[in-house]
Amino acid sequence: MKTAEIAEPEKRNVKNENVIQLPYGLLGFERVKNYVLLSQPHEKPFMWLQMLDNASQAFLVVSPFHVVPEYQPDIAAEDVEYLGLSDPADALVVNIVTLRSSGEATVNLKGPIVINRHTLVGKQVIPNNAAKFELCHPLPVS
Amino acid sequence: MLILSRKPGESIVIDGRITVKVVRFDGDTIKLGISAPSDIPVHRQEVYDEIQKNNQEALTNNTLPLPRLAAGPLPQQSSISVSPANSATTIKHKVITPAIRR
Repeated sequence: MKTAEIAEPEKRNVKNENVIQLPYGLLGFERVKNYVLLSQPHEKPFMWLQMLDNASQAFLVVSPFHVVPEYQPDIAAEDVEYLGLSDPADALVVNIVTLRSSGEATVNLKGPIVINRHTLVGKQVIPNNAAKFELCHPLPVS
Repeated sequence: MLILSRKPGESIVIDGRITVKVVRFDGDTIKLGISAPSDIPVHRQEVYDEIQKNNQEALTNNTLPLPRLAAGPLPQQSSISVSPANSATTIKHKVITPAIRR
């Protein structure tokens, strides 16, 4: 672990009301449970899902409906219940983007992060119909 | 690891509420039927593994220049389907085929 001697990277505008709790963490990052979702107009439709306690570590995410309009993950009943979703409009869905060294970008449609807009509790879920979605769906970037 | 021998049509029961049945052999593929309460997620192992690997590759120090999204489809309202949360006693039946279909 790095110590406090290393200058802390500049924190983007972090507001408490934007803290997203992922009690299960993300797959492979189960211990990191608190994130902030940072959205800046000039970066749209991308957002950063930044670790609350480590501002230098973040996942680039995108609303899948911007890139794959027909995307319709079928969220398992146990996840719907866990997140307390009673209506699709309660859910904020973001998907993790991977920037490749080649300059290409892909988005993971198999493991969306579903966040309850009201409680700001979320979970990376595997939809019932995950088999029909790509793990590395290419993004049309320039 | 507990290793049991089963013939097609035979089952094992886990915790009194999860049943795994060997449905049939299909070449080098074994078809398993899993009956579990709706609050027990059942997924292929490789789905977890590949999402985990993808997450690890995606983590950045958020200083990278963002790609510019080519003009694409217009944003839509969220269209996930939210099935009503079933009671925990509801049993779902799934047939899991371990072979990777491409």
